[in-house]
Amino acid sequence: MSNVKGFQEYAEEARLNEELVTLLKESMPFHVISDRLLERIAAIARRVSYDPGEVIYHGGEPSDDIFIVVSGRIEHALVQGVASSTPIRTMERGDVFGWAALLKDRPGRLAKTTSLSASEVLRVDAHKLVEILDTDPTTADTVMSRFATMITKDFAVSEDRAQVAPQRKGSRVAARGGGNGGGGGQQTISGISLTMFRFAQWLRSPRPYLMFIGFSILIGFWFFAVEVWKLPRFREMPGLTEVWREWLSTDPIYGLSIYVPEYYTHIWVSIRRVLIAFALATGLGVPLGLFLGWSLKFKEYVFPVFETLRPIPVLAWVPLSILMFTGLETPVIFLTFLASFYATALNTMLGVQSIDESYSRAAYCLGANHRQVFRHIVIPGAMPFIFTGLQISIGVAWFSLVAAEMVSGQYGLGYVINTSYTMVRYPTIVIGMVTLGIIGYATSAMVRLMGDHLMQWRVRELALGEQS
Amino acid sequence: MISAVENIQPNRTSAPTRGGAIRIDDVVKIYDPEGAAVLAVDHCSLDIAAGEICMIVGPSGCGKTTLLNAIAGFHDITSGSIHMDGEMLCGPGKPMAEPGSDRIVVFQNGALFPWRTNLENVIFGPVMQGTLSKAEAIDKARGMMADAGLNDVEYNYPGEISSGVRRRVEIVRALMNDPKVLLFDEPYRALDSLTKSVMHEALLEIYYRNPVTIFFITHDLEEALFVGHRVVIMTTRPCKPKKVLDVDIPHPRDYGVLTSKRFRELMEETVDAVHEEALKAFDRGEKEG
Repeated sequence: MSNVKGFQEYAEEARLNEELVTLLKESMPFHVISDRLLERIAAIARRVSYDPGEVIYHGGEPSDDIFIVVSGRIEHALVQGVASSTPIRTMERGDVFGWAALLKDRPGRLAKTTSLSASEVLRVDAHKLVEILDTDPTTADTVMSRFATMITKDFAVSEDRAQVAPQRKGSRVAARGGGNGGGGGQQTISGISLTMFRFAQWLRSPRPYLMFIGFSILIGFWFFAVEVWKLPRFREMPGLTEVWREWLSTDPIYGLSIYVPEYYTHIWVSIRRVLIAFALATGLGVPLGLFLGWSLKFKEYVFPVFETLRPIPVLAWVPLSILMFTGLETPVIFLTFLASFYATALNTMLGVQSIDESYSRAAYCLGANHRQVFRHIVIPGAMPFIFTGLQISIGVAWFSLVAAEMVSGQYGLGYVINTSYTMVRYPTIVIGMVTLGIIGYATSAMVRLMGDHLMQWRVRELALGEQS
Repeated sequence: MISAVENIQPNRTSAPTRGGAIRIDDVVKIYDPEGAAVLAVDHCSLDIAAGEICMIVGPSGCGKTTLLNAIAGFHDITSGSIHMDGEMLCGPGKPMAEPGSDRIVVFQNGALFPWRTNLENVIFGPVMQGTLSKAEAIDKARGMMADAGLNDVEYNYPGEISSGVRRRVEIVRALMNDPKVLLFDEPYRALDSLTKSVMHEALLEIYYRNPVTIFFITHDLEEALFVGHRVVIMTTRPCKPKKVLDVDIPHPRDYGVLTSKRFRELMEETVDAVHEEALKAFDRGEKEG
């Protein structure tokens, strides 16, 4: 084709392009994409016509394009071994198929597609599509989660439909209900590919580099202040190289490094205490918070007492807890428990109070009784706040644990820090602190992941942002 | 678009009936009688026939919602009574009605439970009441959602779908319980006018299949005339009927009605009354709500 185009050709091209954008707008999940990006997607789309009976692709073939139906009817028959409620379906204008191309590891085609009538489809190279989407990470994330939802839906439905069959009454409602329904292997594939996609996005965004710079500044300042500039008050502090060498030494000068079994005993003892305290705080704090939020009368009895006890610092409880509990372990666990318990109970209560009144009214309208409203409205409705509370709770658990271990106890990271100070083993102090930081971060990340897992509805809502 | 359904009667005397006649008799509602004593509803009487779509129009904050809450059982009334099919919901000796699945509210901001998928939302009523097993409820819900063109969103959470679709799911959730009355509290208020027009047709279509009594609050006169058998224009606070208008445009209606001559005549007939009350409310500086 010649490079010089007449005005008419341009006009015709513009018109076709516009038509494609309109079509894309009608199809899930392209409709969430901005016009600007759609134009670029339209530019890489190829229009292909198929005759009646012609096979577009067979199962197992390599997948590189995704398809959008422009006109005609396409039969989409899943290959054997892929379970779904509707193994055979017909695709019409605006329907999207062939999304296997978007999966991270690009499995072969999962279906055989045949044109039923003279039909026209748009083929979009998945690789290029992702490249275009990458220029707008927010949209890309939305589109990819929509895709994941669609894929999950296609396959999760199947299991559920099977369960609804009369011979298996009383089984779960929806495979995705509560977010933990098993959709089989396919769901895992899409889940993982979404995670991989997000990770790739994250690597491409400036965020990891900013994070790296943040850490570098902290560590750099430590190194220069102590070892290079030898600032007045920093001179006595253990330096970066000293700590690093000690931490990784097979024969540590002060007795604690990653090669010393005792190091792991300390870590394990601390983790065990935090887990016990956190479990107790959650087990008691969540129900207490739920009742505080649910019953005005109960709140009037309990809340003033609660609010009077809450400001008392953990350290002020040390003497009493030693008197109250026997042994070394229980007082420490009690002290660790205390602040977590307050945080969990308070946030749970706020969570219950934050629930829109319409929800419980609607539930009563629909014939639910008090107990059912509590179970099906109050508890799930308070869930986001409960998990905020648990995040705070696990943080303060570590905080109070170290305070408690410094006062009593025989093992644990707080104990390490405190005894290292009295025994003048300064590098060991820093080893204890850094270990605490890492483990503390890991535990709170686990709580966050658990929350995301239990509240799929919220994850999805947030992923879609404000656009709905 | 709208399937022709036989026997749709525009007048309220011979509507297809499964009950659901509401009689509001001399209802007064005073908020905070010992203190500020705000008179919200003032000796309001209104008869709504079974199967009628009764549109309640009035300025924001005029006390329409108070009336709806009294029927639904969310609020008590100070005096007067409300009956449904001859049975007293609230009245002397029983200031507050019991909420129940015979009268279901569709809320202003929508009240689909965001933690349940749309399908789980739709089956909520029968499963909670124990009238259907979960499997039976799912079967029924699938059918009803398919009828309303909603089977694509069964497994989505409400937060993932547009607000227009959410409202339709909410109506289906209500209809799952075979209610006698649907109480709409300005459900389309937040929607843009294009979405609204689609929603009105969808609502009518659902109504033609399930002719329940509809008590519909709005401040949009066009909406009221398009959907309703009868339009009741309320005075601003305290709230009582100012003008009652029979909308003699035959059902089934579609959007073409909006440009018809009769529609414009009715509009002219009512717009003054509405405007007058809106002006009063505006002058008093009523809070929206």
